Amino acid sequence: MLNYTVQRLIQALVAIFGVLTIVFVIMHLSGDPTLLLVPQDASAEMIAELRHQLGFDRPIWVQYIDYLHGLTQLDFGMSVVQRVPALDIVASRLPYTIQLAAGALMVAIGIGIPSGIIMATMRGSAIERILAAIVVTGQSVPTFLSAILLIFIFGVTLRWLPTSGASELRAMIMPSIALGALSMSTFARMSRIAIIDELGKDYVRAGLARGLSLGQTVFRHVLRNASIPVITIAALEIGNLLAGAVIIETVFAWPGIGQLAIQSIQSRDFLVVQVIVLLISFVYVLTSVLADLVYVVVDPRIRLVR
Amino acid sequence: MKPGLAFIASLALALMASTAIAQTKETLTIDLPNDVATLDPHLQWNTDSYTVYRNIFDNLLTRDSGGKIVPQIATEWTYENDTTITFKIRADVTFQDGSKLTAEDVAFSINRIIDPALKSPQLSQFDQIATAEVVDPTTVKVTTKSPYPALLAQLVKLSIVPKAYVEKVGDQDFNLHPVGSGPYKMADWKKGIQTELEAYDNYWRGEPPFEKVVFRAVPDVSTRIADLKTGKADLIRDVPPDQASTIESDSTKLLTGETERVGYLYLNAEAGPTKDVRVRQAIAYAIDKQGLVDALLEGYGKPINVVGAEPIFGYTEAVEGYPYDPQKAAELVKAAGAEGATVEFLTSPSYPRALVEAIQQMVNEVGLNVTISSSDQATFLKRRQGDAENAGGMAFGAWSCACQDADGIIFPLFRSGSIWAKYKNEKYDALVDQARAILDEGKRKELYTQAYEVLREDVPGLGLYQVYALYGAAKNLQWTPSANEAMFVMDMSWQH
Repeated sequence: MLNYTVQRLIQALVAIFGVLTIVFVIMHLSGDPTLLLVPQDASAEMIAELRHQLGFDRPIWVQYIDYLHGLTQLDFGMSVVQRVPALDIVASRLPYTIQLAAGALMVAIGIGIPSGIIMATMRGSAIERILAAIVVTGQSVPTFLSAILLIFIFGVTLRWLPTSGASELRAMIMPSIALGALSMSTFARMSRIAIIDELGKDYVRAGLARGLSLGQTVFRHVLRNASIPVITIAALEIGNLLAGAVIIETVFAWPGIGQLAIQSIQSRDFLVVQVIVLLISFVYVLTSVLADLVYVVVDPRIRLVR
Repeated sequence: MKPGLAFIASLALALMASTAIAQTKETLTIDLPNDVATLDPHLQWNTDSYTVYRNIFDNLLTRDSGGKIVPQIATEWTYENDTTITFKIRADVTFQDGSKLTAEDVAFSINRIIDPALKSPQLSQFDQIATAEVVDPTTVKVTTKSPYPALLAQLVKLSIVPKAYVEKVGDQDFNLHPVGSGPYKMADWKKGIQTELEAYDNYWRGEPPFEKVVFRAVPDVSTRIADLKTGKADLIRDVPPDQASTIESDSTKLLTGETERVGYLYLNAEAGPTKDVRVRQAIAYAIDKQGLVDALLEGYGKPINVVGAEPIFGYTEAVEGYPYDPQKAAELVKAAGAEGATVEFLTSPSYPRALVEAIQQMVNEVGLNVTISSSDQATFLKRRQGDAENAGGMAFGAWSCACQDADGIIFPLFRSGSIWAKYKNEKYDALVDQARAILDEGKRKELYTQAYEVLREDVPGLGLYQVYALYGAAKNLQWTPSANEAMFVMDMSWQH
């Protein structure tokens, strides 16, 4: 297992390096921040001068090597827009993203998995149909629409919840729901399918024949076996929640890294974008490695081999 | 019974208390699209940073409500000769750390921003200044490289920073913990979230109107409007015209500022079908400016005859604009043999798509074939400012130099050699060069009228409308927006 973990981490490093390089090249090929920084009446010489001062007039491979050299010393560089270390900027935003992702995950798992269980065990009932409708809604309403609808209903009309910002805990409710809705649907569908799949197996029939109720069978035996595909989804969803909050964070003025990513890309603040890319790819890789390890714990039949 | 009464009484008290707080609200909350990039006023000057830090710092000069340049830190100024000007400095101004503002600080501020080592993006606005020297504690002498009439207009934008403090803490720390002489001092800067300012009680112009001011970063306009309606924000910027009608309510109102900003169309005079002046004139005749203002801006704008609006020095009504005349336009297109010619319309998400499409429609109707190429802002700028061959046939823009002077508009836009100009006319170049190098106002005005006359003939660009800035505000907030779109909290107050 140790071997396996080490191997996965090496693969992960290669993947992250690849992503960094691709993003670096694309960002640099599509222009540099100088044009966006200068006042509009700047002359060509002024722009060239500032570009030179900021070092964007050097060949791209020189900038790349320079960047890598910094990375080896854990120097992630300075933001050209804010003139503070890029790492500090991202680090200051990260807690908000984690907070929001946690809230969304609570909505997704807390509602999604019980719904999946109910839909699988009470097939054909009215409650299944109602839940199915909710799941489809969560999956098909685009977040920018649901977010604005939530603000309009609960913020402006009913005045129950604050319309934007992250200054109080209550402000987390609407963005968590808006962001968690899609994941919630995924969890509900996946757990429903996984449970239905398990319910057809022999050990369930044996359990029922021994006199266990359906509920007992599901909670004692089925859930554990059905959890493998759900864990896989959870690993992917955590990555999505951390990286995919761009729209939600913008609409709710939630100061996480999704919003920061958009602003930094628009202003061509290369080094901030690089830190975010590094972070997100790291999270993706880490969660998928963790999921692999959790499999073994949950289901002893799975062995990790080289 | 008794506990019930007590409960109701306390509830009523609590309610009264909360309304009392609402009436004497000491915090003003302003929603901006983005947070400040830098609080060092000599670095970034994007609108949001600018809006916030100008409340922390004073400027050498400022503009009154009529747009006239008036004293702020400088009390008076005299030209010793065409390139040397001396400023008298107020003696009663203190910085927020208690130190006195002197000529040393003024000279330091000017020399700091023109020092290439600071890498200031604002350098181009001050690069005509050669040096600033201290004559005595209340006198500063500024020398320009050549006679430069726009100097005063540029100095309106120069914030005065404390020399001793900046030198002590260094540039990086100064950005994070700025100290100025303005009405508000920085209290708490949550980067990317909000910037909190606190009244500076010893401000030389009197007590600031609010105890605290909070600038929040709210990127989405619907959310800014929701914040305003629920009282979370007292003032919001950048209300789109199609939402303006939703702002007026019992607790909120719409504020309109007739700005110096102009919506204009650039036409490439050096490449493609628009190289033919008849095609450019045809496009000028093809556009129904009043129609654009009425239909897309809901009337929040004013059609203009030149690339410039009333608040700028050099604006003229003597030059006639192009009337809407599609028939004449179609004839000109035919005469140029350009029927069906493809004209590329460059744009980016920063510009209103509906407007771009409306213009496309109008120009297509007179016989040209306009295709829209949309890219992100950085790529758009790269093409628009690059080679004429690759700069498209036309593009929409909204221009303001925040200097209220024709020099800040038509010089960078159309003077050959400028990054924006895809046009060359020696007569025009001579006129704007001359207007830039003399100080006589009457003569300058005449030169700009002549320059606008040349632009009318050649149409390297077309003025469409004067932009009205729209703000949403709490009903009891008193404030008159200015032509240069500045938001000085000192000019705002609660209505009683």
